[in-house]
Amino acid sequence: MSRKRASRLALAWVRRLIAYGLLALLLAALLWPRSLEPVATTLPKLQFGQLLAALTSGLAWVPLGPLLLTILLTWLLGRWFCGLICPLGALMDLASRLRGLFSKQRFAPQPSRPRWLLVPGATLILFWLGITVPYGLLEPYSLTVSESSLYDGPSLVFCAVILLAIWKGRVFCDLLCPTGLILRFLAQGSRWGLEFHNRCLGCGSCSRVCRVNCVDGLAQTLDQSRCVRCLDCWAVCPNGSLQWGAIKPREAQGRRFFLQRAALGALGVGAGLTPVNLRATILGEPQTEPVLPPGALSLARLNAHCSLCHSCVRVCPNDALIPSPSPHPALWQRPVLDAYEGFCQYDCVLCGQVCPTGALIKLTVERKRVARLGVVVFNKLECVIFRNHTSCGACAELCPTGAVSMAPQPSGPDAPVINDKLCVGCGACQKVCPVRPISAILVRGLLIQQTAEKPVKVVTEDATLEEAFPF
Amino acid sequence: MNRRSFLKTLSGSALALGLGAGLGPLSGGLQAQGFPDLVATKGTDLPLMFDRSLTALGGLGQYVQKGQTVLVKPNMGWAVPPEEAANTNPALLAHIVKNLLNVGAKKVYVFDNTCDNWNDAYRVSGLEKAATEAGATVAPAHSEGYFQKVEIPGAEVLKDTQFHELYLEADVILNVPVLKHHGGARMTAAMKNLMGAIYNRRPLHRFGLDETIPELCLYKKPTLNIVDAARVMLSGGPRGHSDSRYLASQMLIVSADPVATDAACARLLEAKGISPPEYIHNAAKLGLGIADLNQVKIQRLSA
Repeated sequence: MSRKRASRLALAWVRRLIAYGLLALLLAALLWPRSLEPVATTLPKLQFGQLLAALTSGLAWVPLGPLLLTILLTWLLGRWFCGLICPLGALMDLASRLRGLFSKQRFAPQPSRPRWLLVPGATLILFWLGITVPYGLLEPYSLTVSESSLYDGPSLVFCAVILLAIWKGRVFCDLLCPTGLILRFLAQGSRWGLEFHNRCLGCGSCSRVCRVNCVDGLAQTLDQSRCVRCLDCWAVCPNGSLQWGAIKPREAQGRRFFLQRAALGALGVGAGLTPVNLRATILGEPQTEPVLPPGALSLARLNAHCSLCHSCVRVCPNDALIPSPSPHPALWQRPVLDAYEGFCQYDCVLCGQVCPTGALIKLTVERKRVARLGVVVFNKLECVIFRNHTSCGACAELCPTGAVSMAPQPSGPDAPVINDKLCVGCGACQKVCPVRPISAILVRGLLIQQTAEKPVKVVTEDATLEEAFPF
Repeated sequence: MNRRSFLKTLSGSALALGLGAGLGPLSGGLQAQGFPDLVATKGTDLPLMFDRSLTALGGLGQYVQKGQTVLVKPNMGWAVPPEEAANTNPALLAHIVKNLLNVGAKKVYVFDNTCDNWNDAYRVSGLEKAATEAGATVAPAHSEGYFQKVEIPGAEVLKDTQFHELYLEADVILNVPVLKHHGGARMTAAMKNLMGAIYNRRPLHRFGLDETIPELCLYKKPTLNIVDAARVMLSGGPRGHSDSRYLASQMLIVSADPVATDAACARLLEAKGISPPEYIHNAAKLGLGIADLNQVKIQRLSA
């Protein structure tokens, strides 16, 4: 093997290791968000598909740096994002390596299949219309880290995508990925990329390793719009006829092409930034009232911006957030608080910090302390204090604001007293209440979140003892 | 002759017969040597108050032998800073850990099954840092895997529970709670603090705290109870609310008898109008200790 070819192989491996490393880092950060907090709050915001979804939350919620950088670099260099950053891409690369176990024939070139663009295109339009579930199922970051994928048993879509990757390589990126669709348009006119040079012998090695089936060794063509810059074809080419460099100017790269793309992009960004209330609201509101994560503000807002990636569910230190099991289309898989599982920790703002789309706004601790997710409902008839006349008070014990406190009764043990002005709906009372299956004290969710009254800080001078030892 | 005086006579005659040495220093021998049952020390410096109290009790070496494993069980259930007095004072905990290592304890463990998120509570209370720097091993207690189910002999209501394995394995247990008002149990001090050594607190709330808290002590009594009553939360406990009131009682109460400890603590709250919890009497009925402070040999010190 020539030294040049060895260094090309090494570079292809560097690409792979970075992609696998980023995948591992992301999964670890979402498992241990407290130890890896900077990683957990940064990596989701590099995901292009999430940044596109974030556009619907308004510019203030878009990490503009990563968004603009990805657009610019894709326009210059092609779809390197898909080969390097995308976590599902890395998983599909791993999966497609399994193919070698079954068959020597790896991949074969395929012409582009434009009619398939309908699927990712429709997904994007539906997201814009407020029907976010298809996007949540197909956007690669959401699909990878969502609660129903890697962590707690894979979903059907996830399994299908992985099986497809074992069978055919990265066809998902070409046919189904909504993020890929946008990147594809940007990459079509990319300035630098791999191209065939005269020395090609037509051996077809490149076609056999191309996981997106975009290299045709016989026709000596490489589809820049699909190439994910995995560099594998470049590394296997026996005589260096595939070369990385400036792409010969084609008609498709003229000023007209550029203006077209710029206009399309502006239209897309404009559409994305259209306020929620001007976009179609097709979904009705569910009958039940879920307790939404802090910073969701309202179910309508959450539904307009949430990409169902479940990063918030994953990082919640109290395991209080779950993907809603409700079959209602406006609720299914949306992050909701299950106060039987855990409660919303008073000073914790982690979910808003990891949310990559702005569906959960970042709250300061100060503001989080008065963010009301729901209102407490006390069912005296079920409470052990009234039923059994035994002392309990677990609800008041956990209540962070004093919305539930204990007061003496004329007879029997102290009993809970509710001051719902102070209630933030954290669910701590519901979680610790010993009555099951339905707690005697519950949090009823709010479709539009409110602001609770701030507990007034009363500083009283410490009392003193009249006698040094009262015993 | 009641049971108590009978037992006293019995242990006294046992000593006289020279069998006392075999019973070890914990079985009543200390009282026979003239040490008090309970020491209450006034002061402003908790570590110094601890030293005074332990000197009065004959030294920490009376309770801990060289090479023993010690569990120090503070109250660190809440993710609130030390100044709110919802958790045990970090300086006191650190001082106790250092002293234990000085008298030759092989290993000192600290844990609490917290109410708030355990990471937050360990960190914000300042106790994890204080204990670790003093040389203790701060263990997690948030998941069921750390706990083992045991049957509680003599319990009527709480027949079994899951204790933390370190609680079961430790040779010596120092129970180091902070005295506070408690919405559910009225008061939390020595006995109530053991609810942080078990996994599932729900049955205790379900069947009544006054009945079940004493039964927790039936399984394994702490060797020594050291109550931080320097600044006592009088309302909004156990977490503390924005309008919580406090009592600057500036006291440290130390006793091997958890019932006498709680009875003394209850007097502090009673002085400010909080009626004592029923679980103290229930515990005395179970024979866990003495609730009537007139029968307890109390030494009052100031530091």
